[in-house]
Amino acid sequence: MSRYKDLQKNLFGGTTSNARQFGMIFTLVAIVVLFQILTDGLTLRSDNLIALFQQNSYILILAIGMLMVIVAGHIDLSVGSVAAFTGILVAKAMFEWSLPWPLAILFGLAIGAAIGAWQGFWVAYIGVPAFIVTLAGMLLFRGGNQFIGNANTIPVPEGFRVIGSGFLPEVGPNTGYNNLTLLLGLAACVAVVWREFQARKTRHAMDADPAPMWISVLRMAVMVGVIVFVTLRFASGRVGTSFPVSGIILVALMLAYSFYTRNTAGGRHIYAVGGNSRAAELSGVKLKRVNFFVMMNMSTLAALAGMIFVARSAASGPQDGNGWELDAIAAVFIGGAAVSGGIGTISGSIVGGLVMAVLNNGLQLLGVGTDRVQIIKGLVLLLAVALDVYNKSQGRFSIIGSLTRNFRRDPPGSSPSPAASTADREPATTAPS
Amino acid sequence: MRNFLAKTVAVGAIAALALTGCGSGRDGDSGSGSGDSAKGFPADSLIGVALPAKTSENWVLAGDLFTNGLKEAGFKSDVQYAGASTTVADQQAQITAMVTKGAKVIVIGATDAAQLSTQVAAAHQAGAKVIAYDRLITNTPDLDYYVAFDNFKVGQLQAQALLEGMKAKKPNGPYNIELFSGSPDDNNAGVFFNGAMDVLKPEIDKGNVVVASKQTEVKQTAIQGWKAEGAQARMDQLLTSTYGNKELDGVLSPNDTLARAIITSIKGAGKPVPVVTGQDSEVESVKSIMAGEQYMTINKDTRNLVKETIAMVQALQKGETPQVNDKESYNNGSKVVETYLLPPVAVTKANAAEAYANDPKLAPLTK
Repeated sequence: MSRYKDLQKNLFGGTTSNARQFGMIFTLVAIVVLFQILTDGLTLRSDNLIALFQQNSYILILAIGMLMVIVAGHIDLSVGSVAAFTGILVAKAMFEWSLPWPLAILFGLAIGAAIGAWQGFWVAYIGVPAFIVTLAGMLLFRGGNQFIGNANTIPVPEGFRVIGSGFLPEVGPNTGYNNLTLLLGLAACVAVVWREFQARKTRHAMDADPAPMWISVLRMAVMVGVIVFVTLRFASGRVGTSFPVSGIILVALMLAYSFYTRNTAGGRHIYAVGGNSRAAELSGVKLKRVNFFVMMNMSTLAALAGMIFVARSAASGPQDGNGWELDAIAAVFIGGAAVSGGIGTISGSIVGGLVMAVLNNGLQLLGVGTDRVQIIKGLVLLLAVALDVYNKSQGRFSIIGSLTRNFRRDPPGSSPSPAASTADREPATTAPS
Repeated sequence: MRNFLAKTVAVGAIAALALTGCGSGRDGDSGSGSGDSAKGFPADSLIGVALPAKTSENWVLAGDLFTNGLKEAGFKSDVQYAGASTTVADQQAQITAMVTKGAKVIVIGATDAAQLSTQVAAAHQAGAKVIAYDRLITNTPDLDYYVAFDNFKVGQLQAQALLEGMKAKKPNGPYNIELFSGSPDDNNAGVFFNGAMDVLKPEIDKGNVVVASKQTEVKQTAIQGWKAEGAQARMDQLLTSTYGNKELDGVLSPNDTLARAIITSIKGAGKPVPVVTGQDSEVESVKSIMAGEQYMTINKDTRNLVKETIAMVQALQKGETPQVNDKESYNNGSKVVETYLLPPVAVTKANAAEAYANDPKLAPLTK
């Protein structure tokens, strides 16, 4: 039994929230396998995987920001409108003032930051609940979008479209694959292996128990296997396609924000504020600054998401951004964040978003109409969160938590491990365990 | 221990998937390519049909007709509607899914005419032919054909009927009218409006017809998303602002849904119903015309449009060039799209029985 306990503790992380995340990863794999069978292999075909990432990267980018907002105990309903507002401004700037597209992107990010500062000001310094501020923002910026765009659809230039529908170029020898995608995959494999050894070394230095060697190897093998598979899929699409540019932006943001929320003081402060803002303030966390930051950050990411969508659609239209806030919020909650704040991870939200995305895509490939797709997605959201709430009220955590009672008597995660894949312990006091 | 097994299975599944992935070469996925499309494609191929959200009866009817018509013609069909709230993103995803499934022809009733060029390009690269159905897709060189009713003519017919209707009620002008136009993101909305203004403008210049609110710009008259509540709200405001003690003689409405909303607003304000135009021959509007409220509608028989589209698909399947009757008028911003135009018919109470004689749903209403 001890081997099993080792595995439980080390392979998927020792904490309860990770256990729930594992449940979601398991669900994701199950859904992928299910649709792979139902669609006769279409789901994992490279063109479909590419499309999946292109279609959902902007929602997943929103989910990253939304996770931080929700962890801090707020909500942001304005992201769709902010995205649409930024999209139309950027499109107009390029169309009418012939602003070069790289500058236009910076311009869009600046608009997002300015809107975020506006919303953050009301939330953090005046103390208006974020729900109200962003509800107002939703109306304000939707109106702004219609006002500026006259509800027209404005096309964007070829260069700008790269961030939404672009691919890596084909360079180097003809290997039958997209070489740059292969390089990215290789880099990812090296990073995984390097991090694993780094983590072992750190645990050693801190006199903590490193995970047994066989677990490290197994973990690396699984991760590398997945990366190799995904890389080959993305690299073997039609000539001219590769891992999409929007996907690269997403992965870069995901890594950066994961590091920020997990390993930096600023990031941990967000969890502290969401868990117990009073206690956090008394411990020296600058409450207003944290709240201001999460709101501002969210709008900046919303601006980026809006631009990616516009780039993919090749035009900014009046319907852009409708309903995005709900998709992003759903991704975050399916990914295990707590409604009350203080709990949740970036990677969890991405997995939650991917569950919805794969579900959507698979049902579409099966030819299920949008009416029924919406019904199914609604039920999935409800059940995922209901499971979480129910398990919490029962004092256990997840599907597998209930099967591992003896494990829970162990103190979770014996040391404050910086190892990214093992521990993601929330300092928040709300988590019963 | 059972749980351990579950995990082992999960890990195994991932590994297995990884292994199956390694074998695939690069060109295996690229489909038939556009080069051999001239030779046609198998008669039982998949035909994708992507339609906008179910906001009007017409789209629902079109979807049913496509499902049945393509099946009768021996094709496999995948008919999809965009969702109610996230229309553009849904339609983009649906078209991409159809390309993935290897559809040979994709018929698109665009929800936003300018936001589909990426997907149309992807379809083209995969060797699929793309037909724009009813709404022209703009800013893409990859669109193959366009099938629609002559929409400029629709606007002209609406305006002519409006003038005739007002004359019948009140022999001499000037007549007070108000103008409504459709959703600004729908390429057709502007065409209807321009067609109508083509007829109305001379009358307005002569002073015979007066737009009392002075709102004559498309920007002012447009109803976002063809939404009934938008038209109703705008009419409410016009009545309050302009028609306190003036009489409203006619309203140019681009379609039936908006026409009924406008009539609802006018009736709600306790005013007599003026001459209101429409389009699409929706059931409720035909009833309204027979009851003497709405003045006219346009019959663009969806059956004929779908029939013509399926005929195109069949021609493409055999490797022939589909029949078109307009190779000049429809420039989508990137190229002139070969178009098949069908003629619309204006319907008032007087000719309703004749116009709908072949329509099983509408014919009984006209008796």
